[in-house]
Amino acid sequence: MRYLVSVPSTLRTTYASDMQLLGSGFTKFWAAVGLASMVGLPLVLTNFWTAVANQLFIAIVGALALNLLMGTTGQISLGHAGFIATGAFTVAAFVTHFNAPMPVTLLAAVVAGIVLGILVGLPALRLKGLYLAVSTLAAHFVIIAVLGQYQANVGYGEGFTIPPPDLFGWTISSERTWYYLLLGVTAIVLLLNVNWLRSAFGRAWMAIHHRDVAAEALGINVARYKLLAFSTSTAMTCFAGALWAYHTGFVSVEAFDIHMLIQFLAMVIIGGLGSVLGAILGAVFVILLPHVITLATESLPFLHGLGGKVFEIQAGLFGVIMFLFLALEPRGLAGIWARTRYYFELWPFRYRSWEA
Amino acid sequence: MSLALIILIQASFYALLGMGYVLIYRATRVLNLAHGDLMVFGAFLFYQGLVMTNGSAPLAITTGMLGAAFAGAIIYFLLMRPLAGYPAAVRVLATIALAIVLRSLTTALWSGQTRYPAEYVGQLGQAIELAAGLSISVIDALIIAAALLSIVALPLFLQRAAIGVDMRGVAENALLAAQRGINIHNVNALSWAAATVMATIAGIFFSLKVRLGPDIWYVGLAGFAPALIGGMDSLRGVAIGALIVAATEVIAARFIAPHIALAAPFLVLLVALWIRPWGLFGSREELERI
Repeated sequence: MRYLVSVPSTLRTTYASDMQLLGSGFTKFWAAVGLASMVGLPLVLTNFWTAVANQLFIAIVGALALNLLMGTTGQISLGHAGFIATGAFTVAAFVTHFNAPMPVTLLAAVVAGIVLGILVGLPALRLKGLYLAVSTLAAHFVIIAVLGQYQANVGYGEGFTIPPPDLFGWTISSERTWYYLLLGVTAIVLLLNVNWLRSAFGRAWMAIHHRDVAAEALGINVARYKLLAFSTSTAMTCFAGALWAYHTGFVSVEAFDIHMLIQFLAMVIIGGLGSVLGAILGAVFVILLPHVITLATESLPFLHGLGGKVFEIQAGLFGVIMFLFLALEPRGLAGIWARTRYYFELWPFRYRSWEA
Repeated sequence: MSLALIILIQASFYALLGMGYVLIYRATRVLNLAHGDLMVFGAFLFYQGLVMTNGSAPLAITTGMLGAAFAGAIIYFLLMRPLAGYPAAVRVLATIALAIVLRSLTTALWSGQTRYPAEYVGQLGQAIELAAGLSISVIDALIIAAALLSIVALPLFLQRAAIGVDMRGVAENALLAAQRGINIHNVNALSWAAATVMATIAGIFFSLKVRLGPDIWYVGLAGFAPALIGGMDSLRGVAIGALIVAATEVIAARFIAPHIALAAPFLVLLVALWIRPWGLFGSREELERI
């Protein structure tokens, strides 16, 4: 078949092209360039910005997990900060009590996440929408209270210090070492995510999102796939929490408050629910916004007076931006990106894209 | 003070909060997760009134309530009206967005410092002797009185007053109400205003009894547990829900551990959601069943 214009990337003409991870040679080329620049990035970044990049990687893992649950499967979760805390505290407990090495604690965090996911997911078999959201929020408060009690009882009232981990004889302490470790980990998690969404799991989850009754009628075991979505998501979340614990070096229950939950919600909403690219863009946006505000108050003279209020401005902006995206652009940054792309791909025609 | 009295005081406080949730839920079918921050905002308005009038409590309370009612109506028109017709999930997330905007606003306006408005008012800590060995402080007596008054007055208002009937009509079937010439947006804005005033009353009591600071939103948020347990669309249910939650919390604090007591309302809520998701007095069809 021949086309008069170039075929838009959304239009697949063969099964092989539908199954491809990276479409054309053009995409492959730019993916390679992107990866190479990611590898070279810490050579140009200062230590501070490398640390920011590391926080960003961890946030991307967390945002991908939340997106899997909220965006793909359509199960609202307001317990994300509590799930991250579970991962971080699993590491803290294993390091404090058993002095366990990093691979063991990471595995323990993932297992804890799977168990937690099944526990938190069980109400999802009975509840929908608002009531499910409330039950996950309640779960958040229960988790935080239990962990707070643990923190108070074990005697480290202020929190747990996590020493820099050893991995295969290497001590990971400098931000640059962390950067390469986290880059690799994030790449693997990203690949896993993309592949889940292309496989039977992903299709089942999306079917449940669109209409669970119809999904059931199509032979999808809704209960099983809901629990699977919950435990996959919480396992990833706990993994992110474990990485967070090691990278921060200090775990205290105060860090996992509602503000952290709001940050992750902002990531997936601003990025665009249901889109892997959106989760990444949202994480970049949310992590970089405070730094951009700080830079702006420092460099722009008329904003100097706001220097001490960076946190309030940032939180307020999150709220306003979150609301604007909810009301005006439900597909988020990923939607804006897709529209821009189709505009150029379809140029000079003005047809709407297939997905929009 | 006996355990029963402590539970009654705590339950009254929860009932005041929970009724705010119910008012908003009935009007706009949204669980308002910003209720705790509305409470903080209203309490700070009250505090501002106290500072400006040099401690005149009646004037400060009027300032707080009027300001809160105004804020509630504005929030409805700015936030909820544009989202009319959106999925419930989106609107709940929007109230989270509202919560953080409000929180950063209060912190920016009044700083994160903890205040004690009771210093301006005085005489609130005085004990009233109820019976031999049983006494209650003035503020606690006021909390119980306010809760009882609202439990009696609010349903009566909704049943008898013309505007209350309008509110019920809109809650029952907004489309039909609009067809009958009720301005549903004004009525809903009134519901939001009323709920914000309820939040402010709870906030005033808490700030007078304990303290005032941007961090007390947590207390206000806990109020959704009694509302859900009682049934999100039932004002009467809230009172029962508040009693259950308060009893669990106080008993857990006394006999188990303080951190667990903080989570007690939510533990009860999880159990309640599992057994009876539509609440004790809520209407069953409210719940989207699977």
